[in-house]
Amino acid sequence: MSIIIDHVNYIFGKGTEMEHKALRDICLSIPDGQFIGIIGHTGSGKSTLMQHLNGLLKASEGAIYYNGEDIYEKGYDLKKLRSKVGLVFQYPEHQLFAETVLADVCYGPKNQGLDKKECELRAYDALKKVGFPEDLIYSSPFDLSGGQKRRVAIAGVLAMNPEVLILDEPTAGLDPRGRDEILGLIKELQKTENMTILLVSHSMEDVAEYVDRIVVMNKGEIFLDNTPREVFSQYKELEAIGLSAPQVTYIMHALREKGLNVSEEITTIGKAADEILRALGKTGK
Amino acid sequence: MDIIKTQDVLYEYIRRDDEGEVTGITTALDHISLGIKKGDFIAILGRNGSGKSTLAKHFNAILTPEEGTVWVDGNDTSDEDKIWDIRQTAGMVFQNPDNQIIGQVVEEDVGFGPENMGVPTEEIWKRVEESLKAVGMYEYRKHSPNKLSGGQKQRVSIAGVLAMKPKCIVLDEPTAMLDPKGRREVIDAARELNKKEGVTVILITHYMEEVINADRVFVMDGGKIVMQGTPKQIFSLVDELKALRLDVPQVTLLAWELKKKGLNLPEGILTVEELVEGISRCR
Amino acid sequence: MLKDITLGQYYQTESVIHRLDPRVKLLGTILYFVSLFLFNNPVGYAIATIFLATVIIMSRVPFSFMIRGMRTIVILMLITVLINLFVTQGDVVLSFWKLKITKQGIILAVQLALRITLLIIGSSIMTLTTTPNHLTDGLEKGLRFLKVIKVPVHEIAMMMSISLRFIPILLEETDRIMKAQLARGADLESGNLFKRIKAMVPILVPLFISAFRRAGDLANAMEARCYHGGEGRTKMKPLKYKSRDAIAYLILAAYMVVSIYLGRLSLFKIM
Repeated sequence: MSIIIDHVNYIFGKGTEMEHKALRDICLSIPDGQFIGIIGHTGSGKSTLMQHLNGLLKASEGAIYYNGEDIYEKGYDLKKLRSKVGLVFQYPEHQLFAETVLADVCYGPKNQGLDKKECELRAYDALKKVGFPEDLIYSSPFDLSGGQKRRVAIAGVLAMNPEVLILDEPTAGLDPRGRDEILGLIKELQKTENMTILLVSHSMEDVAEYVDRIVVMNKGEIFLDNTPREVFSQYKELEAIGLSAPQVTYIMHALREKGLNVSEEITTIGKAADEILRALGKTGK
Repeated sequence: MDIIKTQDVLYEYIRRDDEGEVTGITTALDHISLGIKKGDFIAILGRNGSGKSTLAKHFNAILTPEEGTVWVDGNDTSDEDKIWDIRQTAGMVFQNPDNQIIGQVVEEDVGFGPENMGVPTEEIWKRVEESLKAVGMYEYRKHSPNKLSGGQKQRVSIAGVLAMKPKCIVLDEPTAMLDPKGRREVIDAARELNKKEGVTVILITHYMEEVINADRVFVMDGGKIVMQGTPKQIFSLVDELKALRLDVPQVTLLAWELKKKGLNLPEGILTVEELVEGISRCR
Repeated sequence: MLKDITLGQYYQTESVIHRLDPRVKLLGTILYFVSLFLFNNPVGYAIATIFLATVIIMSRVPFSFMIRGMRTIVILMLITVLINLFVTQGDVVLSFWKLKITKQGIILAVQLALRITLLIIGSSIMTLTTTPNHLTDGLEKGLRFLKVIKVPVHEIAMMMSISLRFIPILLEETDRIMKAQLARGADLESGNLFKRIKAMVPILVPLFISAFRRAGDLANAMEARCYHGGEGRTKMKPLKYKSRDAIAYLILAAYMVVSIYLGRLSLFKIM
């Protein structure tokens, strides 16, 4: 089970004065269970690419295969694809509409044609997965705090039992606490549900700790595609397109330049501290 | 002299049910007293719901305190006769760039404030030009705001406030909806105004890295001011910041980890250079 | 689908028509409409068509741009014309099955088609050559006399201008919400009318909530920038008549006199 994106091009606003190539020759293979960070500026094409994966946008050229099936084939069930590839949009709480939290989360399963009881079981389960407090499931989604609303919105997609979960900047507008909670939750989903996760973000620092692989997009093209460690080691290339590696990377490089023998491949604070102490010959404790 | 001063300010949000019965009270501001010096760059930090935005709205009389007093340049914000003076003195930039631009052309939006104030036409043009230049958006003056990036829109909003010639600009989470590039643009523009034009800047945010260059930082939680001081003082309190679930820049965090493990580093390290320098000295 | 609406979009270019005072264009459009309804012979329509063609050429807006996005309106127009063609009573010219076409029907249909076409193109000239801001300014100043009878002209103009600013934002938002609900398996295209309307609820509710939130934010932002109605407001771009506007008024007056005189002469009357 996997997604393969094969030479995909997408032309935005064809035939109008706004016409431009939003995606250029994208090739990407997404194996099962991987946690991938998709990084890029606003307008780099990352959100556009994500909307191709569940068939909301159709490539102008190229093909997309889901589990070996061409999703552009005649008769391919796009509605089914959308329940397999869950897409959580930016500010998903802006799409809440129902009178109660539970009813809102039931919307997805209901569209899948499940009966009421099954829908509610799914919704209940999804709300539990996102750590939503049980005593609030009958309250109006509009009375909740920002962080809670976002959980409900994510649960709304989870309730469809997707195999792949795509999240478009799931932490935008949240404070550090909310951000850490949501990111922790997503990591947990990958681990316990063995879900494939694609996390769109513009912050390297946010994703560094969580992802297995980083895809950097720039001007509609894939700029880098590698492990976080390898991607951050190319911090000069990242800077050339206006992105930056996490601060730790800069610290390690600066220390090396000063002659301290530290590894440059460190991406997290905890490891960096140990590495610096080791290099200083002050291990122990 | 303090450009903004608050004394024992209390503000509560009262929730009511459908019948109008009170179902709950949230104390958004719990007896806040502070003074902000003219010409300073002030940062107010705090997580969502800490009361920081409510406080910001008190600085230009969009909200007035239930108890206590807010003075803006000596004027009491509860004095309705002074309301336009106050709003002119303390301009305000809000979070969502789309929801505060009124004009359909950049220059017309920037002219909106002065138009409301009754500034003569020629003077409006002069102010619009100066303000747009100050935030680096002059070349976009004929553009439609819809085609600008988030950071550019926020800079237009700042120019719109600047054209009213305020003594003080309050920025209420101006970068919360922007990408890193946009955030940098907005913070740089605000800093520039503070340095070059001497405008007092009050920046409300939850991004720690934006407050590093502030003159003074207030940290809010639960409607109270729980910490205040220079960035160096604040950032040396990593445990306390963590307890408040606020972010600490990676450099500061790493320095703190190293210190905890026995490395002899100075307090409140804020930049990569400081840290590298400090570690080098330990060899 | 939403992107296809080009009708009434401002077209940026340099031309005499673009530079005219919006009040001239406003009055011109109104007078042109009036003239269209007064004609009762082909000469009137001929003059009106020539007049409009001249204005189009002077405006430098490509004709192709002008008629793009008119498709839906053309369909509406065809329906109206056909109804008129078949239901008008009079001397039967042609009849087949249960349908009858009369001489009066043909004349009426042709007249109607001409009228609607000229009307639509005529009104689009104004919006194509006037920025929305100029338009609202023109309305505010041009209709100022209505203030006497307590019409809040400034407020209406301000509302218009704000709506125009938020239309593209709300269209984008609609698109986003629609996609988000589609991603949750929404089915917006199948089923009967009732089902389809019901399927719109998950799109309309968030859209309204968002619109209200934006309105609240905007009200705060406007107040923070000292907005307090039209009282004591100055203008960054005040409207001032230039000599070309005077010439335009004269041409308009001449057009009205000539076209109505010839357009109503019974000499050419065909009905």
